[in-house]
Amino acid sequence: MVKNLTNRLTNAFIFLTLLAISISNLYPLFFMFFNSLKHRTDYLIDPFSIRGLSLTWENYVTMISQFKILSLFGNTLFISFFTILFILIFGIIASFAFAKLKFPGIDLIYLLIISTMFIPVQVTIIPLYIFYSKLQLVNSYWSVILTYLGMFLPEAILLMTASFRGIPDELLEAAELDGAGYFDKLRYIIVPMGVPAIVLTIIFYFIVTWNDLFTPMVLLQDMSKRTVMVALASLLSRYSGDPTFQFAGLVLATIPAIIIYAIFQQYIIKGISAGSTK
Amino acid sequence: MKKTMRLIIFGLVIISTLLAATGCAPAAPAAPQKLTIWINARDSFISPSEQKLSQDQWYISQAIKRFEAANPGVTVELVPQADALQAHQTFRTAGLANNAPDIANLWGGTFIYALRDVEADISQYIPAEDKANLIGWDTVTLDFKEGNPIIGYPTPDNQMCFFLYNKKIMTEVGLDYENNPPRDVETFMADMQKIKDAGYLPMAADEGAGYPYYFFYIAGYWWVQQNGLEPILAADRGDAKFADDQALIDTLKLYNEIWAKGYMNEDAATSGDSWNKFLQGEVALFPSVPTFVKDAQDALGEENVGAILPPNFSANSKIKDSLIGGPGQSLVVSKSSKNPELATKFLSFINSKEEVLKFYETQTKVPVRKDLTPADLKLQPGSVGDKLFSWSKNYIFWVDNSLSGPVVDNFTKLLPLVLTGKMTPEDFAAELDKVKGQ
Amino acid sequence: MKISAFSPFHKTKAIHGILSIVPVMVVLLFIRLYPLASSIYRSFTNWDGLYRNDWVGLKNYINIFTDSPFWTLLRNSLVLLLSVPLQIIIGLFIAVLLYEEVKGWRFFRTLIYLPQIVSAVTIGYLFRIAFGLEGPFNIILQAINLGKYTMEWLGNTWTALAVLVFCLTWFSIGWQAIVILGGMTRIPLDVFEAAKLDGATFFQRTFLIIVPMIVRTLEYAVIMSMVWTFTSVFAFIFAITNGGPGYETTTIDYMIYTKFYQAGSNFGFATALAVILLLIIMVFTVIEMRFTSAASDWE
Repeated sequence: MVKNLTNRLTNAFIFLTLLAISISNLYPLFFMFFNSLKHRTDYLIDPFSIRGLSLTWENYVTMISQFKILSLFGNTLFISFFTILFILIFGIIASFAFAKLKFPGIDLIYLLIISTMFIPVQVTIIPLYIFYSKLQLVNSYWSVILTYLGMFLPEAILLMTASFRGIPDELLEAAELDGAGYFDKLRYIIVPMGVPAIVLTIIFYFIVTWNDLFTPMVLLQDMSKRTVMVALASLLSRYSGDPTFQFAGLVLATIPAIIIYAIFQQYIIKGISAGSTK
Repeated sequence: MKKTMRLIIFGLVIISTLLAATGCAPAAPAAPQKLTIWINARDSFISPSEQKLSQDQWYISQAIKRFEAANPGVTVELVPQADALQAHQTFRTAGLANNAPDIANLWGGTFIYALRDVEADISQYIPAEDKANLIGWDTVTLDFKEGNPIIGYPTPDNQMCFFLYNKKIMTEVGLDYENNPPRDVETFMADMQKIKDAGYLPMAADEGAGYPYYFFYIAGYWWVQQNGLEPILAADRGDAKFADDQALIDTLKLYNEIWAKGYMNEDAATSGDSWNKFLQGEVALFPSVPTFVKDAQDALGEENVGAILPPNFSANSKIKDSLIGGPGQSLVVSKSSKNPELATKFLSFINSKEEVLKFYETQTKVPVRKDLTPADLKLQPGSVGDKLFSWSKNYIFWVDNSLSGPVVDNFTKLLPLVLTGKMTPEDFAAELDKVKGQ
Repeated sequence: MKISAFSPFHKTKAIHGILSIVPVMVVLLFIRLYPLASSIYRSFTNWDGLYRNDWVGLKNYINIFTDSPFWTLLRNSLVLLLSVPLQIIIGLFIAVLLYEEVKGWRFFRTLIYLPQIVSAVTIGYLFRIAFGLEGPFNIILQAINLGKYTMEWLGNTWTALAVLVFCLTWFSIGWQAIVILGGMTRIPLDVFEAAKLDGATFFQRTFLIIVPMIVRTLEYAVIMSMVWTFTSVFAFIFAITNGGPGYETTTIDYMIYTKFYQAGSNFGFATALAVILLLIIMVFTVIEMRFTSAASDWE
């Protein structure tokens, strides 16, 4: 009886804690949404009061009709898609090597690759820009995608190598005895068993590339190629611009990120190797 | 072996796909009659109300169309920059790659002087008419020195720093700032006490939130007005010491005193909501620039918003009844430009009387042209706009656009400590001396 | 079964291994290593970002150690690192709760990641207001009779740093939870169920069953959040404390950022600071990798 009560209390405590964290997580989004329904002046007077809250969707309508936010989505989507595609292709095969195809010196190479993450991107942007301009790549999406590959491949390799290391060697050896080649191993063992890491890679780098401001701001100097975050950042400085209009755009811009997260997180399921290890 | 081959082919396919994809990027056609212009996406040519319009309806896009129509064969491409600070870096980098736009909207003074290696000298192309009719040429002339190369035009809007005030509070306290504004510090401090006694906050600022505007808008004026800008620039170059600058020490003492006496929000070093409070009607005075006026009028009612000059520091000051201001932004021509003469022609066009009048249909700022009257701009006599206009001819250029980067950085970082009495003005001046002349 | 290093079997494997990392090496060579090498070279010059580029030897490094608030910056970066163990432990607990399908787990799992989607500017602004003198945090303290503890949280060194640690932790919990959940997918279900049937408590399940099985995932989580804290938090600091009071909450990456953007920037100084940061993170990473290698030896 007593144990039952303590259990219930513990469960209630856990539930309330998780609820509090969830509400605090939801709040910034709610704050943006709530203020996107106001007029500029009412927001400036008090961003935290319901004063001036109108239920008009004017900011959203203008965002779509005048600001053409949906075509900006297309630009960012292009960059995000190809960044993730190449991160997955290059990252999976490299992580396979780092985890399972050891050769002398590979650990040093691994550390070298990882250590390229340790320097802020601002530091390297000038030499990079000049490199791209020699290749006529400035103002091309590919300059942004290449920069992202340089920034995020080491991170993704760190993640996927950690995951692939957990795949039992016996499985690979057994497959080899059955005559499985490099690609068979990738396709039938590494990728299926690495699904959680691959899914996390997709989620992380979709959201990071979707929200990034710095790289596209420097490399894409063409109105028609701007990414959604760069375009939205242009709307506001500390005391000028229209914050409520920008909030409407920011709220719309979270939707693709939330969808990607909601879809892919479902693939993180329990006991992924339960059937195959034994 | 077969598998190794497959692997090699696979690798090659990936690499070549990538290279092919990157190779087909369009190379910019080098049309000699094309101008590219970067503008700050906010705070210069695009007003808040224009942001909700599509790009071809903005004033600046319309102006470009008129320029193109007047100059057949010329096309102008407009590229707004999302972040004004970053635009300086991007311009620098693009200049280094010989890829910079013909014209870029950057901050005047030291910010553009630091980029002189990638900026073009356009002195020879500037029409005499512009030289005579525009103010602010010093801010685009290297090192503020007359006779040095001119690297651009000031933007058509003049900024200036003053106090916005809440008329309702002043009336309640019994102060008539329309007819009898405080002109010296003693009166000003006595007024602050009166406002405080009446239960209102005399002044508010977010001094620690990135840009210490109470100092750079108001106290900076007290500093420069005492002996002029030259001794300050000398200290910045390393030819004198900030620690020996009595005007700086005295100014900082007053700067701190206003906070210490409770004439400001107690949390001025960490707050982020002082503007909200002014708009809510809780605060009497707010250090401002013209961009703020319209929001204040919208929030408090046009009849409740007034403007005054900052009071004079002392009767012995070298400069009096002035304020900090001047065109803080500029439009510079880059060395990468294939056609600096055409670029200058565009800048001249944008600053012409007709264009400036059209520009001011969408803006609440103050022009840099000398040949405009308040009537041209449809300013009501006695209105805030009219007052700003009358002050605009007599300004002291921004201190923070005049000092070198490391000094401004230390200034910005350490000022909140001086404000709240955690650092003495003497120690502060010594900290500036550590980084000057770099 | 021991295979000699020269057996054909092993050789194919090595060739596969080398070929597998070639694409990554090519990308990184041009996109990261070349700019990195160029930055290291520039750190020994007085580079202004343009054409001034004279060799000055160790001058920038000497300046950093003698003439700049470097030790304060380092202290601040190290203090913010405290958020790494905090976010990992909280993230771990949440991941285990979600794994055990606590009531409402689907709902929580969807919301937990939301902070990562919102911009640092908005989050920073909300934290600045929340911990303001008249902000909600102080109001709550007053409401629960702790009014004497109200203060200007962002105005004092240690409380301002504590707010930053809190913010970074709050921001990263969801990320950690999802990473750890990903690592937990490989735990065989029967192992976990057996432990539960044996009456292992929540903490026993977490630390004795789960943690040993996800050492590699934790290694990844530690390295990533450490690197992130060292190199990428200036947007939060800018919005919350602006590095103040004075330089009391300015970190190394924040200083690098500031130096890059000031008029007449000394890029040589900024790159030298970045090289020092690189070395610091390198030391931390190698120590961390040694530690986890030892921990996962019995895997």
